[in-house]
Amino acid sequence: MSENKIVTLAEDEPLNLDGGGSLSKFKTAYTTYGKLNDEKNNSILVCHALTGDQYVASDHPITKKNGWWSMVVGPDKPIDTNKFFVICPNVIGGCMGSTGPKEINPENGKEFATDFPVITIADMVRAQKLLIDYLGIEKIFCVTGGSMGGMLVLEWLSKFPEMVHSAVPIATATNHSAQNIALNELARQSIMADPNWQSGNYYHSDKKPMKGLSVARMAAHISYLSKEALQSKFGRNLQDKNSLDYSFDANFQIESYLRHQGFTFVDRFDANSYLYITRAMDYFDVSSANNGSLIEAFKKTQSKILCVSFTSDWLYPTSENKKIVKVFNSLGLNVSFIEIETENGHDSFLLDEPKFFEAIKGFINSTFENL
Amino acid sequence: MSLINENKDFGVIAELIPNNASVIDVGCNDGSLLEYLREYKNIDGRGMEIDQKKVQLCLAKGISVIEGDADTDLYDYPDKLFDYSILTYTLQATKSPKTVMQQLVRISKKAIISFPNFGHWKIGASLLLNRKMPVSKKLSYSWHETPNLHFCTINDFIDLCEELEIKIEKKGDLSNKKLSNFSGKNFLDSYFNEVGLFLVSKD
Repeated sequence: MSENKIVTLAEDEPLNLDGGGSLSKFKTAYTTYGKLNDEKNNSILVCHALTGDQYVASDHPITKKNGWWSMVVGPDKPIDTNKFFVICPNVIGGCMGSTGPKEINPENGKEFATDFPVITIADMVRAQKLLIDYLGIEKIFCVTGGSMGGMLVLEWLSKFPEMVHSAVPIATATNHSAQNIALNELARQSIMADPNWQSGNYYHSDKKPMKGLSVARMAAHISYLSKEALQSKFGRNLQDKNSLDYSFDANFQIESYLRHQGFTFVDRFDANSYLYITRAMDYFDVSSANNGSLIEAFKKTQSKILCVSFTSDWLYPTSENKKIVKVFNSLGLNVSFIEIETENGHDSFLLDEPKFFEAIKGFINSTFENL
Repeated sequence: MSLINENKDFGVIAELIPNNASVIDVGCNDGSLLEYLREYKNIDGRGMEIDQKKVQLCLAKGISVIEGDADTDLYDYPDKLFDYSILTYTLQATKSPKTVMQQLVRISKKAIISFPNFGHWKIGASLLLNRKMPVSKKLSYSWHETPNLHFCTINDFIDLCEELEIKIEKKGDLSNKKLSNFSGKNFLDSYFNEVGLFLVSKD
């Protein structure tokens, strides 16, 4: 178990952002597990996904549920905290204690709301780099994460190649497809269409954009599952009913399930953060700082890499992950690739997938032994 | 594919590879050949393997491995990325041996290819006398369950190299653990070598 820690970074010089502007004295909330060894070569940076946070392996303070990767990170788990020092920061723009739209802008004492600058994945990585510097780590043993976490991993490999010994990007892409952007835009529009959003200034209001955020989550949740998984889990089963009731209440189990996902999400997530983080994902293109060349983007990378995809993931499909592998292959890098067969869709990286766990464990442990 | 006694071939293959070479083993199985070459030749090795269980074994050994298919995934590598490519006991199980061979000599400066020789006298005799598809230590599958799609003889292989303008530099005799320079088709090899092993290249 780990206590949540909060550190103020960029105290001397501001963090310059891709969109112009800067953040100074910003906060990063993070958790750590295990101990940093004397050689300082056993650290693993875990990057969370869109709606994840720093509670990777400890109970969530709001939902009281297990950490989002508690099956992967912990003593004797695939990422063994008896051996490794695991760091998981909440990204900037997030809503679990790191500087983001719901935090106070030191310049005027009010919540940033939509005055918060539009940030990018690269900005998040620059912010994480300041945390790693603060922790006194010169070279991270392994950077890993799935989905948006995988984008952060790719950005680390491109921006700070000399600081990354190995990396495991999971179920991710070098940029968002039109379909990815479309789904995020649907989510943003549903938040902004909620009158309670109030142009983002709802923090002191009784009315919060819960409906909009909830619909955004429902739409996103569909994209995290495969058609097969939805069908085998729910099919056309009715919810607490023997027959259709000819109303718009939740008749089908899938409706009830999605509504539940939406309702519970709003308790732990900030609508403005959802806007900012999805924007960062849509803007992400790891080659953008290199005139669109992926080869140039990873030219200085020397890390040992394992790429993982899941057969039924249609949000970040195997084809997108293989594109990354192809670039690393072209550069002659030490890259491995494995495609895990599962019907659990994009969410697979958060679920109990023994073959996935075995691959991570095998890669991380053997890489550490050959350090 | 049957890999019985394959480990004994490692030494012969290692003899063909200089120290510190970069090597891709296509159909690398559990990574034991790459491990062997890493230990004895300090190679920079990569593997490709279609069977996920074996991919997992490679990962646990610290071998960089791509879960992939020789028929489709060799296109992802740039020209002459590797010093050596290795294809042991896999050619006969590919959908298109011809394109796989072309890819191997494209992505590496030299390719080492081994395959069961269907021209071996025992196989001929088995067909002739028993009128049954041969099953032996090297060819351990019955006809109805074999993953092998394209059997060839040593002479067939030599002809294909000629057609593809691939140069055969050396040949190996695995039963005697001998390597020698290649100087054309040879009656003894085609009848008595259970396995064909060749070092080939194409500029």
